[in-house]
Amino acid sequence: MRQFIELQVNGERYLIDVEGRTRLLDALRDKCFLTGTKEGCSTGDCGACTVLLDGQPVTSCLVLAASAVGKQITTIEGVGSATDLHPVQKAFMQYGGLQCGICTPGMIMTSIAFLNENPQPTREEIRFALQGNLCRCTGYDKIVDAVEAAAKEMASQARIGERTAGAPA
Amino acid sequence: MAAVETRPDTAANGRSDGRAHQIGRSVPRIDALDKVTGRAKYTADVHLPGMCYGAFVRSPYAHARIKSIDTSEAEKLPGVVAVVTAASLRQDMALVVEEEMHATRMAQRLLPGVGEKVKYHGQKVAAVAAVTREIAEEACEKIKVEYEVLPAVIDVREAIKEGAPLVHDETQPVEAPEDFPFVDRRPGGGAPRLYNVAGQNHRAEGDVEAGFREADRIFIDTYIIPRVHQTYIEPQTTIADVAPDGSVTVWTSTQGHFAVRSNLANSLRIPLSKINVIGMTVGGGFGAKFGGIADTYCVLLAQKARRPVKVVYSREEEFLDARPAPGAVITVKTGVKKDGTITARQAWALWDTGAGSGGCYATNRVKGVYKIDNFKVDAYDVNTNKPAPGAYRAPGAPQATLAGEAQLNKICMEMGWDPVEFRLKNMREGEQIGFKETLKAAADRANWWNRQKGPHQGWGVAVGEWTNGAGPASAVVSVHEDGKVHIFYGLMDLTGTDTAMAQIAAEVLGVRYEDVSVSRGDTNSAPFGTASGGSVITFSFGNAVKRAAEDARKRILELAAEHLEAAVEDLELADGKVSVRGNPEASVTLAQLGQMALRSKGGPIVGHGSFASEPSATTISAQIAKVEVDPETGQLKLLELYNSLDVGKAINPMACEGQMEGGVVQGFAWGLMEQMRYAEDGRNWNPGLLDYRVPTALDFPDIDSAIVEVPTKNGPFGVKGIGEPPIVPGIAALVSAVADATGVWIHEVPLTPERVRFALKARQVGVK
Repeated sequence: MRQFIELQVNGERYLIDVEGRTRLLDALRDKCFLTGTKEGCSTGDCGACTVLLDGQPVTSCLVLAASAVGKQITTIEGVGSATDLHPVQKAFMQYGGLQCGICTPGMIMTSIAFLNENPQPTREEIRFALQGNLCRCTGYDKIVDAVEAAAKEMASQARIGERTAGAPA
Repeated sequence: MAAVETRPDTAANGRSDGRAHQIGRSVPRIDALDKVTGRAKYTADVHLPGMCYGAFVRSPYAHARIKSIDTSEAEKLPGVVAVVTAASLRQDMALVVEEEMHATRMAQRLLPGVGEKVKYHGQKVAAVAAVTREIAEEACEKIKVEYEVLPAVIDVREAIKEGAPLVHDETQPVEAPEDFPFVDRRPGGGAPRLYNVAGQNHRAEGDVEAGFREADRIFIDTYIIPRVHQTYIEPQTTIADVAPDGSVTVWTSTQGHFAVRSNLANSLRIPLSKINVIGMTVGGGFGAKFGGIADTYCVLLAQKARRPVKVVYSREEEFLDARPAPGAVITVKTGVKKDGTITARQAWALWDTGAGSGGCYATNRVKGVYKIDNFKVDAYDVNTNKPAPGAYRAPGAPQATLAGEAQLNKICMEMGWDPVEFRLKNMREGEQIGFKETLKAAADRANWWNRQKGPHQGWGVAVGEWTNGAGPASAVVSVHEDGKVHIFYGLMDLTGTDTAMAQIAAEVLGVRYEDVSVSRGDTNSAPFGTASGGSVITFSFGNAVKRAAEDARKRILELAAEHLEAAVEDLELADGKVSVRGNPEASVTLAQLGQMALRSKGGPIVGHGSFASEPSATTISAQIAKVEVDPETGQLKLLELYNSLDVGKAINPMACEGQMEGGVVQGFAWGLMEQMRYAEDGRNWNPGLLDYRVPTALDFPDIDSAIVEVPTKNGPFGVKGIGEPPIVPGIAALVSAVADATGVWIHEVPLTPERVRFALKARQVGVK
């Protein structure tokens, strides 16, 4: 049965019609026209469709659109912008953390959520965090390099932020 | 574009002569910004007005004869716009797929009809298009197909025997050499007969019998390698639209849009000029995206529906009905002398080519990169009830190299020789060949000569050879009124080749990489370009782009000479301007020249470059692994991984490392975990990513990559093609490391915990 639902995606409201069985992935791609989120397997095994639901990474192929109502959804389109990239996006570019790019949006979403939880990870912790996101091109090394570099950059930005905040007016 | 720096360790590369060189810099990929922001457009992201969706009826059996097909219920379903079966095909249509360079080539019926056979589980029997994917799938369920189930044949060693079910009824038995190992002698003598043979390869150099007589020791081993799937994360996807005049437009995920155009023309008997193929951003291919899997059927549906049709393969369909790498059973016999030389080598092989062919030629790679005067191969492609194989990164080489290289390590272990020393002693040498440098580089990085190991730990080394292909390529390089440079061509970029091309053009034209842009034309607009397979692109398109940039440079210098009233020989082009040597005041910028050109006699600054085919020099990847084996569980842990590759010249070191690391992981994964599994009745057992495991970030340690540069004279700046070699030696290195750790040689991969534990238990190694 079709019904209208309202999704909050990247801070914007989308009023869309879905069926009970419509997956969040299809709602985002086909109804909100946000095609940055990719489909690789439709069984939750590859992680290409990872988005954030209230800040937590989920494989959107396994989430029903209707169950995301009332939650803050973040997709790759809601991360940074061409002129103001997120440090994770910059690091993926600079350190070669992508080739074909089909896994990249999901990798970046998982990485951002992970770095929010663990801002100073070891390489082993990064590998553990990314194990739900498959990449077939890079062999993962350069993705780990990128997440490690992004963590350092974010820490240094945070320090600058603290200094600025604490500076006398 | 947002400013993203060059990777710090290579930012200063190439500045030794004081000039800011553009090659040798690890600049970010030219498409990186689109890809990290989700803006890159893949085929599935395209939506056309009125677009419908395709789905397939697939055989639930590996081998069966079709008794009837009834589509009437499906055609009545509201929303169905096209149903295609064998009955709707023209007689002269056949599925034709030629993969450039390594041609597995096939020609078979597009869809089997009543009275004909399905030959593997998941084979397409009918195709449907409907206004939604759900309706298309519902319609497929309403198509009634009656089958007479036939016995299936799955193992190549069974398939060659007399009395085995024939995959193709018309196949005639062939006579094999007397010494062929996988088949019983015929009573009363005579050459053994092999059934289900789809192709054969016989090669003889020198006299192997004489060579084996000379040997002090002879080793014979048989290796078994499974089929694996390339497992690109983006499934096969195509959209087709047919105009009222019958001309076809195709948006597709492919390694070669020109290859798709010719395959479609040959398969569906459409004139080449009536097909335009738009190559979209590709989400991985590794050899499997030359067409014939989804695209041909998508066009058939669009022809019938007279509306645009989109076909997106599911992951399950990928495993059931795509074109995976063939499995193989390879026996290799090697004679050595006590002085460490190889006197003869012989290989016999059966390649599991499913319902198709292609693989047996790669058996020649068992020889390896060594001086061996006496060498012989007898190899066969064997039909089984599985899908036809396709290319997978250095097609056939990982399989043959497992046999060749793992056996060399076994010989070294038995004879008490160091496997690196032994290889260095026997390797071929020659101009433009860097085999020894490459192996030494990996050995140095691994500290091979002082390597340490703890309990249950072992080291393995292997090398894998590959020569890049060369193919026709063409490019146009323009300098615009703002002095920026643009490249236009028909190159399908998968690995970062657009970036390398921009660096090459920048180098020739004395501008920064950041001032070069690139666009790819569809097959109607771009000059012909060879497909991105066979490690061909940086070599072939690199030459075309370099020539085009040199052509543009010539025109720039002519314009500048006129403007500066100086001789062309006295001019230099650097940092975006042309100046008179010794008089830096007299200069003109590329932007000024770009504007002047529009008003000049000769017109805009455009250079053209074409490249046909010139030989390249061969290269190797050397890989060294340290593993730890848990004797209780059979679990392997990769502790350290080193690899080196002779790239000729690294245009972008970071991109080279990316190819190396990605290839290393794919190679080792074939040895560790990947395997398409089939039940006795021929049904695929693991058609999904949960049961067909590919490596995650957690399965591998950091990989040490050493780039070696021994240039080849025909490559642009000395470039050799590098996409494929890194997958080649991994399986052999892994198997050898496990043997070094345990003393047990396992001849069948993948080395799953179950298989390792079983092998150790059989030899009573470390088992309580």
